[in-house]
Amino acid sequence: MKLGYKWIREYVNTDAGAHDAARALTMSGTEVEGIIHETVPREVIAARIVEVKAHPDAEKLKICMVDTGKEILQVVCGAPNCRPGMISAFAPIGADLGQGMVVKKVKLRGQESYGVLVSEKELGLTDDHTGIMEIEADLRPGDVLIDALDLEDWVFEINVTPNRGDELSVIGIAREVSAVLGAELRLPQSPIVETDTPVENLLTVEILAPDACPRYAARVVEDVNIRKSPFEMRRRLFQAGVRAINNVVDITNYVMLEYGQPLHAFDYTLVAGKGIVVRKASEGEQFTTLDSVGRTLRAVDLLICDKEKPVALAGVMGGENSEVLETTKKIALESAFFDPIGIRRTSKGLGLSTEASYRFERGIDPTMQADAATRAAHLMQALADAKVHKGVIDVNYNTFDPKPILLRKAYLYKVLGIEEAGDAQTEGIMTRLGFGLEKTALGWNVHVPAFRHDVTREIDLVEEFIRVYGMDKVEQKLPTFKPMVSPVERVNFNDLRVSLCAMGFTEVVNYSFISPRWTKFFGADALELLNPISDEMKNMRTSLIPGLATVAGRNKNLQQRDISIFEIGKCFFPKEKGSLPDEQQKLGIAVSGQREETGWAVTPREVDFYDIKGIVEALLPEITLEPSEHTFYKPGCQADVFLFSKPVGHMGALHGDILETLDIADDVYAAELSVDPLLRSRWQGLKEIPKFPMTWRDLSLVADEGIPFAEILRVIESMHIADLRKVTAVDLYTGEKLPQGKKGITIRLTYQSSARTLEDSMLSPRQDKIVSALQKELGIALRQ
Amino acid sequence: METQLEALKQTFCEELDSIQRPDEIEPMRVKYLGRKGALTSILRQMGALSAEERPRIGALSNELKSFMEDALSQKIDELKKASSGPCIDVTLPGRAPRRGGIHIINSVIRELEDIFLSLGFTIASGPEVEDDYHNFQALNIPEHHPARDMQDTFYFRQGILLRTHTSPVQIRVMEKSGLPVRIIAPGKVYRCDSDVSHTPMFHQIEGLWVEEGITFAHLKGVLYEFIHRLFGKDVPLRFRPSFFPFTEPSAEVDIGCIICKGKGCRVCKNSGWLEILGSGMVDPEVYKYVNIDAEAVTGFAFGLGIERIAMLKYGIDDIRQFFDNDLRFLGQFA
Repeated sequence: MKLGYKWIREYVNTDAGAHDAARALTMSGTEVEGIIHETVPREVIAARIVEVKAHPDAEKLKICMVDTGKEILQVVCGAPNCRPGMISAFAPIGADLGQGMVVKKVKLRGQESYGVLVSEKELGLTDDHTGIMEIEADLRPGDVLIDALDLEDWVFEINVTPNRGDELSVIGIAREVSAVLGAELRLPQSPIVETDTPVENLLTVEILAPDACPRYAARVVEDVNIRKSPFEMRRRLFQAGVRAINNVVDITNYVMLEYGQPLHAFDYTLVAGKGIVVRKASEGEQFTTLDSVGRTLRAVDLLICDKEKPVALAGVMGGENSEVLETTKKIALESAFFDPIGIRRTSKGLGLSTEASYRFERGIDPTMQADAATRAAHLMQALADAKVHKGVIDVNYNTFDPKPILLRKAYLYKVLGIEEAGDAQTEGIMTRLGFGLEKTALGWNVHVPAFRHDVTREIDLVEEFIRVYGMDKVEQKLPTFKPMVSPVERVNFNDLRVSLCAMGFTEVVNYSFISPRWTKFFGADALELLNPISDEMKNMRTSLIPGLATVAGRNKNLQQRDISIFEIGKCFFPKEKGSLPDEQQKLGIAVSGQREETGWAVTPREVDFYDIKGIVEALLPEITLEPSEHTFYKPGCQADVFLFSKPVGHMGALHGDILETLDIADDVYAAELSVDPLLRSRWQGLKEIPKFPMTWRDLSLVADEGIPFAEILRVIESMHIADLRKVTAVDLYTGEKLPQGKKGITIRLTYQSSARTLEDSMLSPRQDKIVSALQKELGIALRQ
Repeated sequence: METQLEALKQTFCEELDSIQRPDEIEPMRVKYLGRKGALTSILRQMGALSAEERPRIGALSNELKSFMEDALSQKIDELKKASSGPCIDVTLPGRAPRRGGIHIINSVIRELEDIFLSLGFTIASGPEVEDDYHNFQALNIPEHHPARDMQDTFYFRQGILLRTHTSPVQIRVMEKSGLPVRIIAPGKVYRCDSDVSHTPMFHQIEGLWVEEGITFAHLKGVLYEFIHRLFGKDVPLRFRPSFFPFTEPSAEVDIGCIICKGKGCRVCKNSGWLEILGSGMVDPEVYKYVNIDAEAVTGFAFGLGIERIAMLKYGIDDIRQFFDNDLRFLGQFA
């Protein structure tokens, strides 16, 4: 909300400067986010137009002789309203109007102009650019405008929190300023002269939905003269971001800004049957609001109707059919209280938020409806020559009767951790905020004023006290505690990250949403957002691989060819309706290009499947792999990963279709694992370090190409050879030197005994046994 | 001849001392001990000696010969220990293993966790897909309350959403564990918002301390300690009253701008202050939802954005960089 500080200060008696007042407001919970200093250059003066002549060469321009108090100057002016005798604003040569606009002596169509007559908009005072500024006040030519009209002001940009509907008004802010600065509040007076015609003779009000509209007040005024509002009112509206329309509409907005009570003015002659009926809409009912938009209503929406038809969407916007126009003479003025939830439903449902609905949603003072109507009538009398008919119609179902709240001193101190605030100080603060206090044994019984309907509990009063007392005055203390243990899971998460970093991997963090096009590879069973940022971010990921592949592609396009990345994050799997989805923490890894940077001493080597496998083995040495058939990996170059025969993930070369989509030229190898087994401690107790030396024997074998290494391993392990600690492959060969369909594989068998040094004579028979078993079971021969 | 041998030993020792590299040893051996070497040429004069002199000088020269041999081999050992052979170009690049790195967001989370762990907190977590009850209602944000406008929510269907803050972890922890509660909950949160200063996913850390005797003064104490450890002892703090539905009284915490030291700059919008976290005393209404007696205990809660902290600490001005995953960006924090 934006408000001019001078308007605020009209209602609170303080000498505090704008910045001091803003700081005091901010530090008591009403954040002033910005202050716009409004000023007019001192060169700009009041000037009288003495004579207006037609421009000889331009139809739209006029030549004015302008009295500046010192001299008469020729000024060329295009404004339609310039006329002899008027007082306007004049910027002489050299005046800097801001935004690079410095007035120079110019020739317009051959006629010299010694300065410009300016509009309110050009001075940044309002958005009125229909003509040059019309000065109503009695100014003499040569008067410095900023001083003569007291134009300097500061516009506060105020961030009102959702609980403080009462602060969405000048009076609300003035009340805060008064409380925090200890200054006197001066509420405006609204005297009116009424006719003898009772308003009840002119209008009836019937509320059919008292829950949605507990109070409806109305006045009728007549013989209004619709015209432009006075400058000061238009400027205040402009500062608040409200567009000036005409005096009657402006007054309703002005009073709304002043009191926080939205008002609506109907053209009385358009109210059929001279009666207002407040009722719920019927489902699907059509209504055109005054922004000329046809709207389809629901049964929850509330309508203000006359005896025949709806005339306003209650609390949100008036109807096109009863709008106040230039020709309007007689006005029915509405000042109502609507149920906040109902207005919010309507506003959300129609996607239509207005200054009025914003205030009703946050709750307005339930007692000020009649006063606000009278305030508006007063202004209409003063500014639109209105005759105000006698009395206010006030249909009131409100049962606003707040009980006093007990504020215990002990509770106040217990929550805030202060020793003693002093009764007089506490009472002073609460009283200035508008609360009524009665001392009791424990503290005070506090009577809450109607405008602070947000205060309903003792804790609310504690907050009221501290925000004015000053949070900075509370002395900070560290609580005492028994230390707690950091969860094992967190330690291991960090260890996992560090392990991967040590292997040269960079951690990435991707959005949890992915494009639906990935379902082609990863399955369609994904959670879908109803309101995604974009279609590309519609699905919740079920795998980390799309994100990793995308990062690989993006970086490759940025000339980062070698990729070693990982991500730890949640994947989301829908469960049966009514329960939250299954969220699984996963680790994703991707490698592409070279693991080592090319250099004079490094033989470049492209990564392959065994790089990704080796990395996963470094994290989880006990895994086993089985060929798999995932659609996101290349056929024949992928595997499922098992840990003690439980599936824990998969790895492989990303499918060519994925690479093509992401415009990646090189192969990308990826793995995805459940994080849980990686977090578990693999510690199984201390093992003794063998005292006797280890020894190994290599066997060069020739096997059918189709025999996997795992088979060789299985056969050897099933023999339970004594002292055999490890079997690994140290060489693999296929080529011309071997018959078609055969491969050469060299395996290394590592022996170590805990009892003795192993002699060759002891190992030879075991080696022979292995060779014959491999021969018998797998047809493997020793290579000659 | 004896003096000749003495002199030879003298020059040999001097020369040997000046030797720096192992490849200088061999020429020296040749020079002194070779067939045309200095010692041999002295021995050639043996014929001129008397019969009694000859064995004595012979013994002396043998002694000198073995002395020189020992000295040379000792020297070569010494030099070999000190050098690895011929000179190398030390300016060629080394065979460096590639460096990895933890994502900057996760390192900042870890840094914050370490501070809070030392202040008595433990770590809790909760689901990222939440229900309306835990994300809003139990945090005293009823349906149709304007406070819901404070956060733009992603929905899957009626009542199921992406959590908009880490605060639902407060509820989940209080539902389950007994008192006292002292937790922080770091994690991902989501809001339907995307521009230079907003990403639809970001990270928060939530703090909650509920225990008998906890006061607003303690909230201040903990947050002062936290900020001072994170940004340094000289950083001023201010507690500014504000509104959050699940705390009362509520306070925004500002720190003196760490960029301009409070003088006013673009980052702090010339105010000299940076909004850094939201906090307050747990609203008694929240205790009702988790069956805790609001008269018996008090507590405080706070929440802050990780990206905001990282941006301030490292001078990053576009939040989207965290999730672009450009390795040239991420590598700077490795």
